[in-house]
Amino acid sequence: MDFNLTDEQQMLLESVDEFCERYFTEDVVKKMYEDHGMPQEIAEAYRDAGFGLMGIPEEYGGIPMDRVTIGLMIERLYQKSGCMHILYQNSLSMFDIMEFGTEAQKQEAMDHYMETGWPIASLSISEPGAGSDNRSMTTVAKKQADGTYKLSGQKTWVTMGEKLPYTIVVAKDEDPSHDNGNMSLWFVKMDTPGVSTAPLHKIGQQCIPFCEVYLDDVVLTEDQRMGEPGKGFMMLMKNFEVERSYIVAEQVGLAQAALEDAAKYANQRIAFGKPITRLQMIQELLADMEIKVQNTRNMLYKTLWMMDNDQPVQLESAMLKRYGCKACWEVADSALQIYAGLGYTTEVRVGRLWADMRGNMFGGGTHEVMAYIAGRQVAKKYAE
Amino acid sequence: MRIAVAFKAVPDAQDVQVAGDRTLDFSKAKLTISEYDKNALELGAQLADEAVAITVGGKDIDNSKLKKDVMARGMGHLYMAADDALADLDAAATAAALVDVLAKAGDVDAVICGDGSADNYLQQVDVQLAEKLGWPVVTAACKVEVNGSTAVVTRALEDCTEVVEVELPAVISVTPDVAEPRIPGMKDILAAGKKPMDVAGADNAPAAALTTVECLAPEQVARKQEIVDAADDGAIEKLAAAVKAAL
Repeated sequence: MDFNLTDEQQMLLESVDEFCERYFTEDVVKKMYEDHGMPQEIAEAYRDAGFGLMGIPEEYGGIPMDRVTIGLMIERLYQKSGCMHILYQNSLSMFDIMEFGTEAQKQEAMDHYMETGWPIASLSISEPGAGSDNRSMTTVAKKQADGTYKLSGQKTWVTMGEKLPYTIVVAKDEDPSHDNGNMSLWFVKMDTPGVSTAPLHKIGQQCIPFCEVYLDDVVLTEDQRMGEPGKGFMMLMKNFEVERSYIVAEQVGLAQAALEDAAKYANQRIAFGKPITRLQMIQELLADMEIKVQNTRNMLYKTLWMMDNDQPVQLESAMLKRYGCKACWEVADSALQIYAGLGYTTEVRVGRLWADMRGNMFGGGTHEVMAYIAGRQVAKKYAE
Repeated sequence: MRIAVAFKAVPDAQDVQVAGDRTLDFSKAKLTISEYDKNALELGAQLADEAVAITVGGKDIDNSKLKKDVMARGMGHLYMAADDALADLDAAATAAALVDVLAKAGDVDAVICGDGSADNYLQQVDVQLAEKLGWPVVTAACKVEVNGSTAVVTRALEDCTEVVEVELPAVISVTPDVAEPRIPGMKDILAAGKKPMDVAGADNAPAAALTTVECLAPEQVARKQEIVDAADDGAIEKLAAAVKAAL
């Protein structure tokens, strides 16, 4: 087994370090959380460095890249910026467009990204009554006599839904009932009549706001459909595996940041006449934090490597999401414990990391659903 | 316009360790581009139609990552002399070895140097290189504009700026604020390894003009732990006096 990074991977990580040092100063990050956004110059610099083009096909101006390298980049990006910004998250919607979009949609998405530095679309999947239980979704697109479609329903937890010009909506075809599993993806412009939003307020990740999206008889045309009719959810699920892995890459980067902060603080903090790193209970916390970070990282790299080698990762990606997001959040929780009272203030960033990382324990799939996916796979793996 | 940028490969300062006897341990320090030379590389990349990088050093500078890192910063060609006869040269010997490398790089309109190397910071190679080439030299350049066969250079001096015009070819050394180094992007990184790189041994072994007698880290000084109570009269004056006395 070769754990060495290539020259190019090392240089990429050094560029990410330089990028983060230059743009994500603590003052800028604080303001991002107050203003619920990110400075335009960061979006442009990220685009110019080509980080946001990684994984997008070459014919659209992207930079084809293996998943291990993309995972390394995301991990370092979140470790060094120390906050849950939008940069990588929204590349996920770009991947969906590149995978399922029509030629016109792909070109428009790339043109928009190259012009503005921001992705073109948010993703509207969850509903008030349908998250993990996606079959209970009631948003529906019905064909009209004139050949157009009418889209109706309500979506929620739509990250950046109020900021980006389009949203990708998954909706049932014709019939909203539970039995109907046929769903399609639609590329919907946010200023279309019948589309409206309402903000929602988060307890973490405030620099990537989410919102409700209301769809009231929104008229769609066939060219707004993405991919094959009826297969919308199956298509999204195909990308879920890699998306889950990238969420864990963000999470392990943030956990590394929390771990480093806590260990540095523990080295300086004097209690009972000595640095608290000499207290066994603090040592146990630090040891377990390092174990969790290293475990998650190893699982992440292995899963990405398997995907790069065309091996199925239904089990691995679910285990990774279930174990990694929780273990990494526990690292932030222990970091907060080491900081104690100081960690509970806004003077240090550890509390922010803690709240940000809590959201990744359900965003991109809850632990409970991950157990459901993984558990069935484990039973199958050892069946006689 | 063809420009050569001279850079030095130095041990990464953050990995240099100080031993108990104050000697420096470089064994864990990877080679990296000297920090101030990144500004020179950036200016060269911005000004030139073709920018080439030149360097000399021990055999270890023939390092694939280091070379790609230079090429990812807008350089079109690398000319390197990597030979243990060229390791740890002083400024005069470095300048002499660079002249040999420059002869292989072909005609250039200018050589750009950084402010000083991140390890020795002698600020001597630029002037000695110019002397050996018989070219004019302009130091402390914070802005450079090329007009045909001349360059207009703004120099940052201690309490003023000076604008000079110099005939090309010339050696120009730059201050760190002359150009913000680029963050090598993913496309630059992937293309770097495919660019031409000429690596050769030493043509000559330039004689050293200086001998290093010793190189030691400063002695550790214990903290004085003098605390001035802010509530006392004249606390600020006391603090200022203590700082002055310590200096």
